[in-house]
Amino acid sequence: MKKARQLDPHCEAILREYQDNLPRFREVEQEVKEKLRQTLADAGLLVAAIESRVKGYDSLAGKLELKGHKYSSLADLTDILGLRVITFYIDDVDKVASAVERLFDIDWENSVDKRKIHEIDSFGYLSLHYICKVPDFPYRFEIQMRTLLQHAWANMDHDTGYKSGVEIPKRYMRNMSRLAGMLELVDDEFSKIRIELTDYRRRVQALVRSGNLDEVPIDGDTFRSYLELEPFSQLNKRIAAMNQAEIQEVSLMPYLAIFKAIGLKTLGDISNLIRDYSEGAYQIACYQIGLTDLDIISSSIGPQDLCIAYILKIGGGKAGIKYMFDQLNGESESNETIAEMLLEQSKDLPFMNK
Amino acid sequence: MEVKINNQDGNATAQLIGRLDTPASQEISGDFETLAQYAAGTIILDCTQLEYISSSGLRLFLSLRKAAAAKGGKVIVKSINKDIRSVFMMTGFLNLFEIQD
Repeated sequence: MKKARQLDPHCEAILREYQDNLPRFREVEQEVKEKLRQTLADAGLLVAAIESRVKGYDSLAGKLELKGHKYSSLADLTDILGLRVITFYIDDVDKVASAVERLFDIDWENSVDKRKIHEIDSFGYLSLHYICKVPDFPYRFEIQMRTLLQHAWANMDHDTGYKSGVEIPKRYMRNMSRLAGMLELVDDEFSKIRIELTDYRRRVQALVRSGNLDEVPIDGDTFRSYLELEPFSQLNKRIAAMNQAEIQEVSLMPYLAIFKAIGLKTLGDISNLIRDYSEGAYQIACYQIGLTDLDIISSSIGPQDLCIAYILKIGGGKAGIKYMFDQLNGESESNETIAEMLLEQSKDLPFMNK
Repeated sequence: MEVKINNQDGNATAQLIGRLDTPASQEISGDFETLAQYAAGTIILDCTQLEYISSSGLRLFLSLRKAAAAKGGKVIVKSINKDIRSVFMMTGFLNLFEIQD
């Protein structure tokens, strides 16, 4: 329902111009949003949300009723179309801003970096607002960029204060400022954690590349970096050569848990396992597929048979093998049958009798 | 070799009956193409009556797994017998599928 408002003819004209152009605003909204989404995705920049809205009729009428005299035409209003990009990290706000700068013409005179307007001893609304333009559309629009925490604060402040129409007690304003200060700190801390993690990953990758594997503890990141060196490739190729089999590359990440479960602590330990047990793993594979016509294997055959060889050699027996397959494939009685079969087969293999 | 496909709500169950050797794999490749249409959902390969699987059969299973991975679905291999489980293990295929007893 459109509220009855007392608007002068000048404001009525702006409202008519708005209504005439509303379909085009909605088209531009979708075009701009899609461009932003695609550009951020291409840059690998993960954001929490991209929101957009075209100002509603009542909201515009209300604004014109209050300060319509400030605007000579609809083109003077820069917030008819508004978009908001909400980032996870504070450093990403600037990255989003640079993407926006590349995509659209920026009206620098009217764009505001509200992150910089605060005095050193005041805390509050932090957000970057760009007024933008695209070709073939005479109206400007606004893109706001801020973090998830800044967004949370702004919404709280907006909902509980600005719209209530009553005078805000000082105590409330002080509490909101305190929260803003705290969230600013939290944003910085999140950012620091990310920087430290990136730094840790770089150092680990350098250690892996330089071959100092004994110094690298096994975790998700280090194991992933290690796999880039294709440490099981030689064993897999040797096994495949038996039957001229093709090797299907699959993720070996599930073996991280197995390597940890059998007590390996560093990437050096995995490297030693490959060095010491590749012959045993090869003998297991030979026994199993050497006399078959199976000519397809997965790249997990190497780590699987290495673990089997190791578990059997250290006396882990049926329970050890079953535990491994339970971890990899989920618990199953059938894993016991496989473990029994492997235990039986291994008795005849040279590596077990050395 | 026979394949009986039932589908419901974007998911499919296929009963594989017989020996999945090389000629049979060619024979039923069309059925696996049909199954791949459900790659966004859950595809259950019911192997209760599957007696044998060759490399060609493994390739069919794998192609379905790839289609499911690309579309966010999954392939469940159900009730494989001891020999087929052993083939899965020997080739490193065991942890590529969700296997149900």
